[in-house]
This record gives sequence, structure tokens and C-alpha cells, in this order.
Amino acid sequence: MDPILILVCVILGGVLASLGVHLLPVGGAPAAMGTATGVATGTVMLMFGAAMCGLFTASSVATFSDNILLVSLSGSVGSWLMMGVTMLVANVIYVFGTGIVPVSGRVDVDPITKEPQKAYKTPQCDGHGVPNVSYISGMVGALLGGFGGAIMYFGLLNYAHFEETMAGIAAMGIFVANAIIAAYNIGGTIEGFQDPKFKRLPKALVSCGVISLLCGVLVVLVVNLGGLTG
Amino acid sequence: MTVGGGPVVEEEKAEGFTIPPDVKQLGIIAGVISAVILIFPGLPAVIKAVGLILALVWGMDSVRKTSKYGLGTGVPSIGVLAMGYGIVGALVGIALVSKVVSKVGDSVLAPAAALGGVLLMGVVGLVSGVLSNHEKIIGMKIPKLEQGMTELGMAGTIAMLLQFSIVAGSLNFDVVLDKAISNGLIAVMFILSCMAMFHPYNACLGPDERRPRTMIVSVEVSGLLCVILGIVVAAVATTTWGVSGVVDGVLLVIFGAVVWLVCFVKFVRMCFEEAYSTVGTGMIKTIE
Repeated sequence: MDPILILVCVILGGVLASLGVHLLPVGGAPAAMGTATGVATGTVMLMFGAAMCGLFTASSVATFSDNILLVSLSGSVGSWLMMGVTMLVANVIYVFGTGIVPVSGRVDVDPITKEPQKAYKTPQCDGHGVPNVSYISGMVGALLGGFGGAIMYFGLLNYAHFEETMAGIAAMGIFVANAIIAAYNIGGTIEGFQDPKFKRLPKALVSCGVISLLCGVLVVLVVNLGGLTG
Repeated sequence: MTVGGGPVVEEEKAEGFTIPPDVKQLGIIAGVISAVILIFPGLPAVIKAVGLILALVWGMDSVRKTSKYGLGTGVPSIGVLAMGYGIVGALVGIALVSKVVSKVGDSVLAPAAALGGVLLMGVVGLVSGVLSNHEKIIGMKIPKLEQGMTELGMAGTIAMLLQFSIVAGSLNFDVVLDKAISNGLIAVMFILSCMAMFHPYNACLGPDERRPRTMIVSVEVSGLLCVILGIVVAAVATTTWGVSGVVDGVLLVIFGAVVWLVCFVKFVRMCFEEAYSTVGTGMIKTIE
């Protein structure tokens, strides 16, 4: 049992979850009407879905590999696929179903592709769909979030010697709690790194760091009291 | 129907709080009763189910009072947060119990150590409440969010521990690990307890939201949870209760079904009665 390694894994997972949430294009209820940029659901649902997919892939890989990097990256890939498909299908629905152009509401020019945004935005709206910059931001967010969830799972499984199901569900519980605190920081909706709300990130990182530290201490307590050894 | 005789009595107990005590009283009453039930894992599953319903209603009440000011992320987030904490707290609780058992032997009061996990999770909830409400950090500006998150952490942990106790019949680490966690049941418990906490307010919120009506949805979802747990208990059929676990499980299924049916019918009737006079209200409340 390595208390320090457990703490590092849990804190890293929590902080990456928080960072991931800030990068996802979350539209919330306005996006469901096509009047805001992002996928039309809450932060928690998106991050929960991404983390679950990441945990599935990570736990599959963890059955035959002890390499922390391989397990964590496979978690990234799981979340990545989930977010990529979600954003793509959301865009297909927005473009071909609702008939709107994916456009950012926060910036006039796409910071990555330099495409003009403002001319395509419907007046009184806050952007539509998932534009390129938000898509890339969301992919990076899912990558980091999935990596965080998987590294937490790996830490609980191999350093805390939790049994697989227990490691999975505990990692999910801690991850989700951190993602929700981060979601409170952005007030529920965000476009990606180009959104002015992204500047609030340090506050969420500090909060999530503290909460993950406490959860990590509790995990160490479980390991010690429950007499879990490899 | 002699089998149904027992549960019907219990069901009246569960129904008793449709005339609800106010928010403060409910927290204390539900917390104390469910904690007392938690200390005795040898009780029949039906009694533990009453404690479970009380804990979930308490959680739902905390969700209601924090999210009525508008969280920005939707009501479900805080219910999921509660159960996320609940899982960690419950793991600490059962680890504490197993430590006490290994030190002083299998005494009757050993399960009381699980309450340590509840308290620790209360502390974590308090810290996260302070972090999210403090102006210099996240600054959500929700009155009493600290108290709400503390209560959510505690209610989530008690609900999780009671479900462990129902399914495994004990709060010992190894037994719970074997019977409730490693077979994946914990995922079902997690999501259904989340539903019992966040779904009622999420479904009922609106201008004429009324506490008793919201509360009855929570009891109804808890009833469904009891049915599933009952099936599990009957299938796994090993509780520490004297009579065989099958009877325990079947009683729990009947209890859950009765609670669900009564509350569902009552809820639909309430909605019919109240739907005709919905009036508009002002903006979401915020503190100045």
C-alpha cells in the first residue's frame, strides 16, 4: 500500500476531471432549442457518460496490463470516442434536422480555423451547434477527463488493492463529485476554451484539488481499516 | 393473505410522512431513525427498507432546498453528487466496522462504527459546500448550501449503507464486498438511489411545486428500489435474520410494491386535483 501514490492518483484524477469539464461544449437547455452553442445536455451527463466509457475501456485494458500509462490512455480513448460521436451526432441533428449552422457565440473569429463566426449567428441567439473550435476543445476535454478517470481507477485498483467493481464504482463516485463541483464553477454551460468562463478555471482546480485530497484520504483510510493488501 | 399482513403495517409507517414535518424536523427525524436502524443489521429487511426510504426522502428534501435557487447545472447534478459521496462514505463505513470487529470481536454494537463513515462524509460535504458557496472560490450564492451538501453527503452514505445491510445482512467489509459490491449490485443501488433523490424535484419543479407532492414521488421511487432489492435478497437468500432470506426478500418485494402502488396512485390523484389552478410566479429566488 502506497498512500502517497493513492493520493496522487486520486488528486490527479479529480483535477483532470475538473479541467475536462471546462473544455467540453455543454449547451444545457438553451442548446436543446438550438439557441446556444454546445451539446444539448448538462455537464454532469456528458462528463458522466465520457467517464463511464473511459472506465469501460480502461478496466478492459487493466485486466491484462499493469502499465499505468497504457491503462490511462485507453481510458482517454474511451471518453474520446464517446464525446466525438456525441458531438458529431448532435451536429448532424442540428445541421440537417434543425437547419442551423454550427457557430460560436462567444468569439467573432474561430481561433483555430480562422473562420468567421459572427455573420452566421442568428440575432438574439448565443450561437448554435458545435463549431470546429468547440469540437476540438471537447475532444481535448474528453481526452483529459478520460485520462483522469482511468488513472484514478488504476490507482484504486493497483495501489489501494480495491477489487475491480469497487475500484470502478469508487473512481466513478469521486470523479463525478469533482465534475459536478467544476460544473458549478461554469454555471452549467460553456463553449470550450474560447469561452470567457474558462478564465474561472483556477478556482475549480483548487476546489477539486481539496475535495479529491479529502476523498483520497478516505480511500487510504478504507485501505488501512479494511486491511486490503495485494 | 397472511404474507401481506406484515408489510401493510410498515407501509402505513412509510405513508405517515406524507403529512410532512418541516424541513428541519425531517432532517433530524429521518437522520436519527435511519441511523438507529443502521446500527442493527440483524433487523428484518422491511424495517431497514423503512430506514432507507427515510434517508432517501431526507436526501430529496436537501436536494429540493438547495436546487430551488437554481444551480445552473440542473437538479440531477446534486443528487448524483450525493450518491458519489455516499459510495465513498459507505466504503469508509464498512471498513470501520470491520476494523472494530477485528479489534473487539463481533459485538452487537460494532455496526455503529459505520456511523463514523457517515460523519466523515458529512465533513467532506461541508468542505465542498463551503468551497462552492464561498464568494472568493466558486461563489454560487445559494443560501445554506453548506448545510445542504453536508446533509446530502450524510443521507447518501446512510442510504448506501442501509442498502448494503439489506442485501448482505451485515456491515462487515468482506461480506458486503462479496454480496453487494463485487457482483455489480452497487451500480444498480447507486443509480436508483440517485433517482430517488433527484428525480422528484426534477420532475415536479415549477411554479406550484408543493413539498408533499414532491416527497411522495421520492417514496414511490424508493418503493421501486425496494422491489429490486427484495428480488436480490430473495435470490441471494442470505441474511442474518433468523427465518430464511427468501421470506425476507419476498416480504421486501411486497412492501416495495405496496409502497410504490399507493404512492403512485396518490401522486397521480394529487396532480389531477392541483393541475387546474396553476398560476405564474416571479423569477427564481436569489439572495441580494
